Amino acid sequence: MYRKLAVAAAFAGLLMGCTPSANNTPIENAGVEATGDIELWHFFTDREEKALNEILEDFKKKHPKVNLVAKGGQDDAKTTQAIGAGQGPDVAISYSTDIVGSFCAKGAWNDLAPYLNRDKIDLGKFPQVVRSYTEFRGKRCAMPFLADAYGLYYNKSMVTTPPKTLAELTELAKKLTVKDAAGNLQKVGFLPLFGFYENSPSHLAPMTGASWLKSDGTSNIGSDPKWQELIKWQKELVDWYGYEKLEAFRASLGDEWSADNAFHKGQVAMAIDGEWRMAFLRDQAKDVQFGVAPMPVSDASRYGAGYVSGSVIGVSRTSKNAEAAWALIRYLTTDTNAIVKLSNGIRNLPTTTDALASKDLVVDPEFKVFLEIFNHPATVTTPPSAVGPAYQDEFSTFLQEYQSGAQKDVPGGLAKVDSQVNNLIKLAG
Amino acid sequence: MNRPFLIFVARHSVTIALSLMFLAPLVFLFLTSMMTSNQTFTTEIWPQSWHPENYATVFEKAPLLRYLLNTVMYAVLATIFMLLSSVPAAYGLAKLRWRGRNTTMVLIICLMMLPPQVSTIPMYLFWANAGLTGTLWPAILPLLAGDAFAIFLLRQFMVTIPDEYLDAAKVDGAGEWKTMFKVVLPMARPGIAAAAMFQFFYAWNDYYYPLLYTSENQDNWTVSLGIASFKYAHHVEWELVSAATMITMIPVIVLFFFAQKAFVQGVTLTGVKG
Amino acid sequence: MPTITGGAGRYRRRLTPYTFMIPALIGLGLFLFYPLLSSIWFSFHRMHLVNLTQPPDFIGLDNWKFFFEDPNVIRAAKNTLWFVVIMVPMRIVGALITALLLNQAKRSRGFYRTLFYLPALAPPVAATVAFVLLLKPGTGPVNTLLANIGIEGPLWFNDPLWAKPSLVLLGLWGIGDLMIIFVAALLDVPVELHEAAALDGAGVWQRFRYVTLPSISPVLQFAAITGVIGMLQYFTQAAVASSVASGAVTGGGGIANTFGYPSGSTFTYPLYLYVISFGPRGLLGYASVLSVVLFVVAVTFTLILLRRFRTFLR
Repeated sequence: MYRKLAVAAAFAGLLMGCTPSANNTPIENAGVEATGDIELWHFFTDREEKALNEILEDFKKKHPKVNLVAKGGQDDAKTTQAIGAGQGPDVAISYSTDIVGSFCAKGAWNDLAPYLNRDKIDLGKFPQVVRSYTEFRGKRCAMPFLADAYGLYYNKSMVTTPPKTLAELTELAKKLTVKDAAGNLQKVGFLPLFGFYENSPSHLAPMTGASWLKSDGTSNIGSDPKWQELIKWQKELVDWYGYEKLEAFRASLGDEWSADNAFHKGQVAMAIDGEWRMAFLRDQAKDVQFGVAPMPVSDASRYGAGYVSGSVIGVSRTSKNAEAAWALIRYLTTDTNAIVKLSNGIRNLPTTTDALASKDLVVDPEFKVFLEIFNHPATVTTPPSAVGPAYQDEFSTFLQEYQSGAQKDVPGGLAKVDSQVNNLIKLAG
Repeated sequence: MNRPFLIFVARHSVTIALSLMFLAPLVFLFLTSMMTSNQTFTTEIWPQSWHPENYATVFEKAPLLRYLLNTVMYAVLATIFMLLSSVPAAYGLAKLRWRGRNTTMVLIICLMMLPPQVSTIPMYLFWANAGLTGTLWPAILPLLAGDAFAIFLLRQFMVTIPDEYLDAAKVDGAGEWKTMFKVVLPMARPGIAAAAMFQFFYAWNDYYYPLLYTSENQDNWTVSLGIASFKYAHHVEWELVSAATMITMIPVIVLFFFAQKAFVQGVTLTGVKG
Repeated sequence: MPTITGGAGRYRRRLTPYTFMIPALIGLGLFLFYPLLSSIWFSFHRMHLVNLTQPPDFIGLDNWKFFFEDPNVIRAAKNTLWFVVIMVPMRIVGALITALLLNQAKRSRGFYRTLFYLPALAPPVAATVAFVLLLKPGTGPVNTLLANIGIEGPLWFNDPLWAKPSLVLLGLWGIGDLMIIFVAALLDVPVELHEAAALDGAGVWQRFRYVTLPSISPVLQFAAITGVIGMLQYFTQAAVASSVASGAVTGGGGIANTFGYPSGSTFTYPLYLYVISFGPRGLLGYASVLSVVLFVVAVTFTLILLRRFRTFLR
């Protein structure tokens, strides 16, 4: 018996492992020059990566003693894994706000409040919606790195005035759809399938104004009738096309991020997408005459609102050079010139009021539409949660089943989504 | 025409049709790898024009050479380490008498059958504590502690070697280690070749461990991980994906033709008789 | 034979076998006992990927309770069960038919054997990519061919109903390893038995049913049990097929976001286990529950195998 216990104890020792020392070093005084090596992970590739690298060069000129290495093509899962294993980058940019909740709650990203206070940075310079998605339970562990707003893109060769209501959207979508003799779809006015390109429930939520979480952080999906309104509208349009026909059509389309994007090719006349699509269109599909507008809504009083989200940036717990990491974040997220240059380069929206008002910001009529969506009072985002995007994922799973016809009971299905999300939130702690 | 002849034709036509079906995916992959990007989105199967330069382009567009070198390192080291640790273990299980031998054998078979996902979390934690995540070492180093499948295969092979040969060596004063090296190893060469081949291919084809351990560090990716992520890196260029896929298959095909016999023997040995 | 009389010598001789076994015994400890014990331990804790190396919080049975309520477990287990029930028999029957055909083709047997075995060695990622391409709806060659003969091909990897059957086709392409085992087993069937049966007037089917099948039945059982165990860890093909076939990958979302496409139809149990641990949820404590359950199931099948095939130990 004693021997068995000894073995068990040995194993327990293995389980615990060694705990890397937490990053508790007190921060430097204001004005100390940042030095040393830092590594930045981001998700940009190709054209966007080039634009980012220009700004990073500017940073290096301003901080000659910092040796910055940037790695592109990284994603949240990799960052999470690396931080957990104690090998995270000093600074990471995430493509969405989904990790803010768990990274703040678990301390994967350092609290930035001490730095913000020391360097006297006024958070009032950030719009409220942006502030809300970069903090969790009162802890600010992230800063906004440009923002994205979603609107309706339409192909001007097919659409003259963009639809303002869901009813108009449906009508126009049907009118613009082209079928061949066998009934197969050749061209689609609007492709309503969830899971197609940017058609996620979060991006479409502003159409009816549906909300995700209650104030206590638990799921509001089942109790908000606006979701059912959105689902009903979407399902009717899907059924009009026929799910099978739509899936066949969807499977024949090019990749979202390639030059063969269906909107580039005129295979869909209208699509919900972010402001970055303009840059892709101008780069990869110069012939396409496109227009942009706020997304159609169920209730005309909310017209003009949309979905806003953004990339976020933070300092890993594992960073060995938090001071230089902060210097980089400070430059990228609060320096008006840097933000404007980034926004002009990547063509995402700037996130400070100074940058939004800057004369150097290139604003064409299309970009202005997105700036207005961004500033609209009814514009929404996806709230940070301790389980990250789990509430969106669970809901999406239901929606995929529902739109295919495999699942028919909406209230029952949503109730299950609620209980699943609440359970996950409880488990994540 | 007589009936047996008809049966002969029918039989062969089935086999030939089956052969074509087995070859078709490879042929189609090859044809696609020779197309222009535009043609990959059409229904035409035969390339309108041939573009072998796709095979060069793919090396420029992705660090394929790097991936290949990583994969070779993984496969070669894994194979060597496996042999160093598993050959003695197989000998111990096949030819030596000791307390706990049967239990050990049962445990090794259990380990062989265990889905790798079962031990993933603890092992990931283990390698994170060792500071080795982000590299291929967590996939390679465990082979120093034996591979259950290889031990099983080698043991099955060594059991068939008559004890008389071993006794003769021992009469001449050889110890167990010497007997293993001088007598059993030469006789077990086909089994060792098969085990080595399996290990090499397992590592070459592996997707799970490289995905788990090297995702965040593209410098350490293997070809399988590279191909699976090809599309994910923003563009799907089927002609390039196909070319890269062909490249990963070539070493497998070449090696197989050289060592077909060892393979067939190895596979047969792992199946059960009676 | 040298005689060793001293006590130390006998002791050393008794220890010698263990020197051969040292690496393997370490391996058993490290890869069997340590993962099992620590998974059980973790399953009672709250443990997040991002806090991997920090001591986990004890939360009692919460993870286990959730396991029985989690609809994703049922979805994933159903998918895995589907593969066990459909894929395993299909592969065995397919391999058996191919092996029988090979045994008929006497002179060209070697050639065909090479041909049929080759796909089994193709890297799974490469083979899966090839199949996604082959079965591409719209422009893929299979659907083009079907359209030519007037059949409207399904959406294969893009249709929740057809994604799993598409993976079965991929599995059938790689039946080479089973086929080789069956060919060897068929060659071991005594010719005299066939001759005797033929003399008694048994037809081709009857000889197969009453002579061949009973003789190779152990091999078939072996293939069935190892096939089931193989399906319990079915990961690569399902993962790669879903991520390659899905059109929508929001840049930066991570490859795991696409696993299970379309509509979770290819979301197998091991895939769920991976996603819930190493995806954005990072719920390692809960994932340990899934590991322990998978462990129990896998070991059960292994023990069945061992009971049936004691020859392994002889």
